Amino acid sequence: MKPVNLLGICCNWSPYACYNAAGMARLKMPPNFRLVRVMCIGRINQALILRAFEYGADGVILLECKDEDCRYGPGPEVGHVNVQRVRKLLRLLGIGQQRLIERHFASHEKEELVRALWKFDELITALGPNPAKPRQEQEVS
Amino acid sequence: MSEYEQKIDKIIRDQSLYQCLECGKCSASCPRQLAGKEYSPRLLAHKIIAEREDEAFIENSIWECLTCGQCGERCPSGVDFSHLILEMRTLLAGTKGLKGYRSHDGALHSWMRLMTSPNLQQERLGWIDTRVRVAAYGKLAFFTGCAPYFDVFFSGIRVDTLSIVRDSVRLLNFMGIVPALLANERCCGHDLLWTGDRENFETLCRLNYHEFKAAGVEEVVVSCPECFYMLSEYMPQVVPEFDIKVTLLIELLEREMKKGGMAFRPLKRKVTFQDPCRLGRICGRYDTPRSLLSLIPEMGFREMENSGRSAVCCGNSGFINCDAYSKRIQVQRLHEAKATAADLLVTACPKCMIHLTCTMRDPIKHGSLAMEIRDLASVLADQIEWAAK
Repeated sequence: MKPVNLLGICCNWSPYACYNAAGMARLKMPPNFRLVRVMCIGRINQALILRAFEYGADGVILLECKDEDCRYGPGPEVGHVNVQRVRKLLRLLGIGQQRLIERHFASHEKEELVRALWKFDELITALGPNPAKPRQEQEVS
Repeated sequence: MSEYEQKIDKIIRDQSLYQCLECGKCSASCPRQLAGKEYSPRLLAHKIIAEREDEAFIENSIWECLTCGQCGERCPSGVDFSHLILEMRTLLAGTKGLKGYRSHDGALHSWMRLMTSPNLQQERLGWIDTRVRVAAYGKLAFFTGCAPYFDVFFSGIRVDTLSIVRDSVRLLNFMGIVPALLANERCCGHDLLWTGDRENFETLCRLNYHEFKAAGVEEVVVSCPECFYMLSEYMPQVVPEFDIKVTLLIELLEREMKKGGMAFRPLKRKVTFQDPCRLGRICGRYDTPRSLLSLIPEMGFREMENSGRSAVCCGNSGFINCDAYSKRIQVQRLHEAKATAADLLVTACPKCMIHLTCTMRDPIKHGSLAMEIRDLASVLADQIEWAAK
C-alpha cells in the first residue's frame, strides 16, 4: 500500500528547535512526513491549510509553541481558531476533521515531538488516503 | 497570425468589442475607477483591439475587473464587458496560468476545487432542524449552494448565510412543497468560472448534473442569483443533455402569490434594497424583488441613490480582488443605504450579505456603518401567511 502523505507546518521557534534536536539525536521519524517551516503559526491562515489538502496531503499537523511561549504574541491562538474552522470545513467536505491536528511543544521536548509524529502517522494511516484528490490548480505566483 | 491572436479576435467579435466608440462611459461608471483605482475599461478595450503587444497592461487589467457589469449596462454600443473579461480570463488562464489576487488567499476557490473530487461524501446537511421539512430525493430539489461553508469560514464576522437557505426552504414548505436537499451537491462553480478556472467549473457542473439525475430531480429551485445564473445559463452549455428546469425562488413565489390565497403580515420597518449584480444586471430581474416587497403592508420602501440598473456592486464578485478600493466601494454603498433612513437593508445574494456585513464590522468605523441586513427570502418567509379570505 502506498504510504500516506503527511505534512507538518512547523513554527520556527520551539517546535523547530525540537525537530532539529531530534534530527541531531538521530531519532527515527516517519519517512513519509514532510515539513514546512514558517516563522510563526499565526502566519498560517485557513487557505494555506486547505491548500495542503487540495494538493494531496492526507493529514496535516500544526506544530506550535505553547500559548505562553509565542515570540510574537498571539500566534498559537490564531492557530487554534484556524484549526477549529478548517476542521469544520473538512468535516463538511467529507474529508474528515481528524485529518487536521495541532500539537504544541516547549523547546526541549524533542522526544514528545517525535512521539507525536509517529502517533499522527498511525492515525492517518488508519484513516487511509484523503478522499478528495482534485487536479492541482495551474496557479503561477 | 498565431492561434492565441485568433482566439482574442474571436472573443472581440463575440462580445462586439469592435463596436466600441471609445466614449469612455465604461470607465466613468466603473465602481473601481470611481473608488480611485487606476483602472480603465476603455483603455483596456483599446489595448485589446489596437495595442495587443502591451501584454503586461492587458493581463493586469483583465484580472482587476469586478465583473459587476456596470460598464456593459452603460455602453451605448452594447459591448458585454463582463463576459469579455470572463472569456479573456479563461483564455489567459489556459496560456499563462491563473492570476489575480483571490481573496482570503483563495481558500474559497480551494474548497470549490476540492469538491471536484468524485468520491466525496459531504456532510453539508447538518443544519437541518425541525423548522424545515425536506426530502432526500424527489422531483423538485432546492440548491443550497455554499452557505454551510460560508458560515464556518466567515464565522469571524458573524454572518448567517444559512438563514437564507433555511428561510427559502420555509417559503417552499409554506407553499406546500417539500424540496429534496442533496447531500452531495457541489458548489455551482460560479467563482471558479469567473476567475478563469473553466476546467474545474465544468467538472463541478457534470458532478452536479449526476447528483440531480441520481436523485430523480426534474426541477431545481435556487435562491442564490449566482447559482441560478450558472445552473440556468452555463450548465446546459457544459452538459448537452441537460433537461432540468431551473427556477428562481422569488419568481416561483411571485407566480404563486398571483394565484391568491397567500399574503404578507405587516412589517413596520423602513427598508432599502441592494440589487445583486448577478440578479439585476446579468439576469435582468429588477422588478421581481421590488414587487414582492411592495406586497408587504405598512413597510416603507426607499430606493438608494444608485439602484436598479445602476446599483453599485457590493465590492467584490467571485472572491477576487478584494482590496482597499473594494472597501471604499462598500463604505460608500453603506452610506447610500444609511442616507435612505432605512433601518433594514435587504439583499438577495449571500455574497452581498457577506461583503457588506464585513464592512459593517470594520473596527475602525466603530459601528457607524452597522445596520440590519437580511436576505429577501428571510424577510418574506417571516411575513408570509394565509390570506384571511
